Amino acid sequence: MGMQNVGIDKISRRDFLQKGLVFGAGARGLAAGYAAVPDVFAKAVYSAKGAGVTNDKVLVMIQLGGGNDGLQTVIPIGDPKYRDLRPTLGKEADAALPIDKDHGLHQNLKGIKSLYDKGKVAIVQGVGYPTPSFSHFDSIRVWETGDPTRRQQDGWLGKTIEKNYDSAGHPLVGCATGTTSTPGMLRDLQATLTVINDQASFKFQGNSDNVDKVMGTLYTGTPGIYGALFDTAMSTVRDTVAQLKTSAAKYVPKATYSDNQKLVFSSKNQLAAALQLAAELIVTGTGVKVLHVTLGGFDTHYTEQTRHGDLMAYLDAAVSAFHQDLTAYGMADRVLIATWSEFGRRPQENASGGTDHGTAAPVFLIGDPVKGGLYGQGPNLAKLDTQQNVSFNVDFRSVYQEILTGHLGLDGRDVLGSSFDAIPFIRAVAS
Amino acid sequence: MQQPQASSRPARRFHRRTVVVGAGAAAGGLALSRVLGLHVPGLDRLAFGDPTVAPVVNTKDWISPLDRPEAQIAQLLRRATFGMTNAQYDLAVSDGFKNTVDKLIETPAAMPKDLAGADAASQDKPLNVVNLQSWWLDQMLSTPTPFAERMTYFWHGHFTSDFRKVGAQTPYIYWQNLTWRKNALGNFRTMLYQVTTDPGMLRYLDLGQSTGKAPNENYSRELMELFTMGVGTFSEDDVRAGAKALAGWREPLTQAMVDAQIARAQQQGRTPPKSLAADPVKTGVFEAARGYKGAVTFLGVTKPWDTNAVLDRIMQQDSVAPYITRKVLREFVMQDPPDAYVERIAAGWKKSGYDLRSLMRDVFMSPEFLQPAAYRSLVKSPTEVMVHIARALEAPQLARNIAQSGSGMGQALFDPPEVGGWPSNASLVSSNNVLTRVNFVVTTLGGMQKLPAFGNAHQTHTDGIVSEQTAQLLNAATDDQTRWLILLASPEFQLK
Repeated sequence: MGMQNVGIDKISRRDFLQKGLVFGAGARGLAAGYAAVPDVFAKAVYSAKGAGVTNDKVLVMIQLGGGNDGLQTVIPIGDPKYRDLRPTLGKEADAALPIDKDHGLHQNLKGIKSLYDKGKVAIVQGVGYPTPSFSHFDSIRVWETGDPTRRQQDGWLGKTIEKNYDSAGHPLVGCATGTTSTPGMLRDLQATLTVINDQASFKFQGNSDNVDKVMGTLYTGTPGIYGALFDTAMSTVRDTVAQLKTSAAKYVPKATYSDNQKLVFSSKNQLAAALQLAAELIVTGTGVKVLHVTLGGFDTHYTEQTRHGDLMAYLDAAVSAFHQDLTAYGMADRVLIATWSEFGRRPQENASGGTDHGTAAPVFLIGDPVKGGLYGQGPNLAKLDTQQNVSFNVDFRSVYQEILTGHLGLDGRDVLGSSFDAIPFIRAVAS
Repeated sequence: MQQPQASSRPARRFHRRTVVVGAGAAAGGLALSRVLGLHVPGLDRLAFGDPTVAPVVNTKDWISPLDRPEAQIAQLLRRATFGMTNAQYDLAVSDGFKNTVDKLIETPAAMPKDLAGADAASQDKPLNVVNLQSWWLDQMLSTPTPFAERMTYFWHGHFTSDFRKVGAQTPYIYWQNLTWRKNALGNFRTMLYQVTTDPGMLRYLDLGQSTGKAPNENYSRELMELFTMGVGTFSEDDVRAGAKALAGWREPLTQAMVDAQIARAQQQGRTPPKSLAADPVKTGVFEAARGYKGAVTFLGVTKPWDTNAVLDRIMQQDSVAPYITRKVLREFVMQDPPDAYVERIAAGWKKSGYDLRSLMRDVFMSPEFLQPAAYRSLVKSPTEVMVHIARALEAPQLARNIAQSGSGMGQALFDPPEVGGWPSNASLVSSNNVLTRVNFVVTTLGGMQKLPAFGNAHQTHTDGIVSEQTAQLLNAATDDQTRWLILLASPEFQLK
């Protein structure tokens, strides 16, 4: 286990935080209109490590945990085989929202459909990797590390942060919201990361200023294999508490986020709250670059039609509010939303009105930076593999490559190990 | 490094719900660390990388006290139970390590008192989940058989189910907890059958839905991947064949569930199905007509199967003993047990006919359990840390507070985040989780009218082995509330 002490002058940064944020004119590379960003953050976040990293883009990854059924999300409405394979689930074809003569989005993706119509949604079909794993955990690890050979431990987003951004003392560069533990994609012991489950309670209880100070002392120079991890976590807590005090005061949501949608069975979902906090962190200029949120419950082995339909509605409402909020704040052009799921599901419906673990599935890229449309090839239901699954035609790292280069302006080889043919779903920016 | 900036004014009065912390901080320095008899890790363990390169690598390690009998006992109690009161610690120290292991392992699980109304849970009267969680936490806090309880918790994280999918409109998730406890220290093969036919499990992994005609693969896969053999030890064809071979189970109905269904039907003006009747059992019901007829090839053998034959075939696989043993060693000894260690313990376990008492005795009596590498090599889970806090503070009334605090730390009982169970060790250490643990200590201390004397708590609960900073803060503290806060919120206390 690697360990480190953060190598920056923490005292001066804390003094800075405690005195309150003094807003500068914004750092080089930040266009006008960006919410006031304290110079000291902007500089450290956007220009450290890799020379010339001045990109102001933000990435929000949404995990659809459990294996989202691609065939119920982007429905092959023109393919009679789809209805043959899915006597119950196939009825969704009738209600789907057509995006062309062959494909329709699930009927509950109305907000995303309207963004698609505006050219703000790219759908990459048939995304997967060779020799797919049907294990949730194994396949999640492949997607998290970006490594089908299973040699890597760190998450590809954690590595992206470690290798490209000076996150020391800037805990919000990498951030997971609406969860308690660090998501695998962000895992990297060399990257400082914040995990915020619930913003309202993210502060010290009791005589909070004193507790804050004492904990800062208590979690210093801790020995042992977990020592640095605990110390870094606590210093991150203290920085984040200070940051949230400021950002919460500056932010009022300009869209309606609701987690009071029909309760989604089998998962504790707070995607809307998680995305609202993500919006706050973005629009208040905390220096956040990479966010990760999760919507669970996609392991639909039985009674899939209603459960999956609920999840689609949930996803649609949260993403729509998030995009609307960012748009109202004039920040939508900076933020890319990307979905991922460990695998799709078997084309043949099972006896419980559900589907078992499958392979390739579509990935959604949503936001103003996107060049909308369909990419890759849809599933060929007439030519299933020996396991009765669809074959992949886009390596998932080709999606990561475009996120890294096209959106974040990074090379990406140090993260992915080599270069992949990017799927060109990011608009070329006229500069 | 940042210097402590704690208030120079010592805390005087303790207000309910407010913890006033005053720590004289570093002023006293090392000289003070002798006041409480604390051992501070020596600087001789410091190792630096290339000093010209930032960041500085800190490899300073805890000084293992595991050559001292009382430290050996304390580690055993931290791992084999949910932490200890002073009385439990004193008794174990006087019994000695081996006798304590014997006592812990040989005492059969004490069953909790019934949870009122749980057996009669139905659509009309669903289980209250916080009551259920508190009921279990009460047992963890007060059980006379803490090791059996700790193993029940281990199996809860291994043979997972969550109340969200299993639902609160049946007693299934409550029954499951009772079944896991009854089997916690029995025979693994016997337990596996109970797990497979457990009503909560039938629902959680869909075996109750699976038929020979259209098998559902969920249970077949996880039975091999997560419960017995491990990923990569079987093929996709085995998953499909296993699904067929296991098909035919359904969930049992209770009288309360039947009554609720009939009442529902009458309310809606429907005739209730004639066949609706309560089952006399609290396990799954096998219906041969819904099963698979004929032979399939499962793990290399082609024949007609039933559930016991499937489980027997799985138990014949070489992968089972090392897979389960490694998981047990990770839970009770160290994060990455060496292969030779795993194989040695696994071989003994297999020889015992998969007896769980035999396995656990070998684990605790293995020399590796007391090696320096094992010291503070595991992070307490949220439940472990909160129950230990309540035991240290002699405060069994905290069950409900603990139940309600779990989810913010990533561990709501009966609700594991995924079928793979709970996160462990480094995965538990996030900014959110460090903050919520500290806040639990602050609010708990703030809510208590009377605290036990701090006394030797730093010895009992952290072996007197603390960091320089912890030592300084403890020594500078001027009252017991502050000492408890420092100790229970410290990184040292989060480890086991």
